[in-house]
Amino acid sequence: MKLFEYQAKEQFVKAGIPIPEGQVASTVEEAVQVAERIGSPVVVKAQVLQGGRGKAGLIRKANTLEEVRKAAEGIFQAGKGVQKVLVEKAVPFNRELYLAIALEPRDAKALVMASSEGGIEIEQVAAEHPEKIIRYTVDIHRGVLPFHSRSIAFDLGIEGEGARRFAAVLEGLWKVFRTCDAELAEINPLFLTDGNVLVAGDGKLSIDDNSLFRHPEFEPGPESFESPIAYEAYKEGIPYLQFDGDISLMCAGAGLTTTVYDLIHYEGGTVANYLEFGGPNYRKGLRAMELCLANNPRVVLIVSFGTIARADVMAQGIVEAVQKLKPSCPIVACIRGTGEEEAQKILKDAGIEPLSDTEEAVRIAVRYTREFSDAPVKQPVGDPSRSKGATL
Amino acid sequence: MSVFIDRNTRVLVQGITGSEGSFWTKHMRGIGTSVVAGVTPGKEGQQVEGIPVYHTVRRALREHPADAAMLFVPPKFTLDAVFEALDSGIRKIVTIADGIPLQEAVQIRGAALSCGARVIGGNTSGVITPGKAMMGMFPYWIERVYKSGTIGVMTRSGSLTNEITAMIVRGGFGVSTLVGVGGDAVPGTRFVEMLPDFQADPDTEAVVIIGELGGTMEEEVAEAMEEGVFTKPVVAFLAGRTAPEGKRMGHAGAIVSGGKGTVKSKIAALERAGAYVADRPSRIGELLRTALGRGPV
Repeated sequence: MKLFEYQAKEQFVKAGIPIPEGQVASTVEEAVQVAERIGSPVVVKAQVLQGGRGKAGLIRKANTLEEVRKAAEGIFQAGKGVQKVLVEKAVPFNRELYLAIALEPRDAKALVMASSEGGIEIEQVAAEHPEKIIRYTVDIHRGVLPFHSRSIAFDLGIEGEGARRFAAVLEGLWKVFRTCDAELAEINPLFLTDGNVLVAGDGKLSIDDNSLFRHPEFEPGPESFESPIAYEAYKEGIPYLQFDGDISLMCAGAGLTTTVYDLIHYEGGTVANYLEFGGPNYRKGLRAMELCLANNPRVVLIVSFGTIARADVMAQGIVEAVQKLKPSCPIVACIRGTGEEEAQKILKDAGIEPLSDTEEAVRIAVRYTREFSDAPVKQPVGDPSRSKGATL
Repeated sequence: MSVFIDRNTRVLVQGITGSEGSFWTKHMRGIGTSVVAGVTPGKEGQQVEGIPVYHTVRRALREHPADAAMLFVPPKFTLDAVFEALDSGIRKIVTIADGIPLQEAVQIRGAALSCGARVIGGNTSGVITPGKAMMGMFPYWIERVYKSGTIGVMTRSGSLTNEITAMIVRGGFGVSTLVGVGGDAVPGTRFVEMLPDFQADPDTEAVVIIGELGGTMEEEVAEAMEEGVFTKPVVAFLAGRTAPEGKRMGHAGAIVSGGKGTVKSKIAALERAGAYVADRPSRIGELLRTALGRGPV
């Protein structure tokens, strides 16, 4: 789970990493008050999880209080879903560096990365000039040692007092990485000032989802999700991704759901949402269907090939959901795996045709999005071929 | 012969008294696996399917020598359980746990690498040699999926594996051994580390790789093919060709970030190395027949 910049910087402060003076604000008025207190010039930064904020006009510099007002107004209007801005004192810097800690799965170690060419083009630098990224793998138990800090500081061209300060920043970032169970802890840019002082200009902190159970302090609210439905799904423990197409996926298993997602695109269809109700969630058919229908999809496509997720239980859940929720769109179901014979019978008895081939199910679903694109909202549930006859 | 497990492999089950543990222990026995003992702290003296249960791995091994440990242990206790097995000298471990904290997965893999052990998982169904033995959870009774044959399978997925394996069987083949390395970002064992076993296995004619977006495991297979470490035919299916950058497609390891881990780059690497890549599951059988120089079904 990604944290907002201001949350990342709270962790930086605890670990002794210097950040610019500033405060988060939820309204234009608050933003102006913060600027008044800390003094201009300031930078007003949208607190959103997407990257490329600078290029999207979601980070603006302001020299006067009037400019702060305008910048904050512009940002709150520009970015959809901007709930907060961070108002920070502008830092006069000499250089922009890059510093990050991630994991290196192959060597089973942590990976420290640094570059003297930090800033918004870092991904391009990494792609075109990989030699400009300094890399050290670090044993997760031993952590960063003085030689790591020393070596990286020298390679970045930082010496003397600056090198000592760099060591403190790197050690602080390591502490953040470990104590927060991060999968990525990144400072970009890391400002180096004329006086050889280092200040974290930005902060990116991504917490490992599997470790969230021991970090109640990072419990995400609705603002961390792409849509209210995505937040509802998160609270249910149901894996969910929001898209804006026609077909709602209610599948089981990450790999299979992703494959169905691909197959829909091959057939020229579009996806409304990705939802997995396999694994521990296979008894949640009703709730999963509710979440899918909240997108007003043209079709709900159900594909599974489960082992633990019993097909008969899933089929039962789907039938109950259809009877209770009375969806107005067709349901296409292809449920296989443990208990599949029973599942087929359950679906058939409820008037839903049980399919057994994934690619056929995808083709049918995509076809329905076209056939029913102008159809009236009310259609008999479960048997779209019959409903088509009725609406003609 | 087979890869990783056969009927002679003596398996210890950690977490045997839980609902998953006891259910799948029954089925591991059902297919022919030699399950010698179980472990659940505090439950010594009980039996599961007639298999004796002990408090600790050491106490179990005192009575029942074992070659491998099968873990049905929740994610937050997996690090401890893996280290308990390693401490007792077991060097083959399968863990199904879905949700092992990432930095603990790094420690598990690190420990396995340093003592020459093989830890398969987490977030996997396990390992199966159809008709002989399995460590994990596979519906081996569905014959159109788990038929014995000559195709080795390595996978990052579960349900998709049932789908693809059914296509292997539909193409007129069966499975020698299937190894689920799991869907996590830091799996205990990587695809490339299993290749020498499949290369040496006389029962394996070709290998099917079921990969997906994210990470570099598929590219590592391509490297091994180019270096001549693996010379048998390879057919691959990769999920997430059309997935957008920055979205995590279900599995922790399935994410493209900073332009890395795209399916496109994986396909390019595999095809350059001589692998056949199926764009949809239904093409697996046909590509296997081409790769092995057989005519149409």
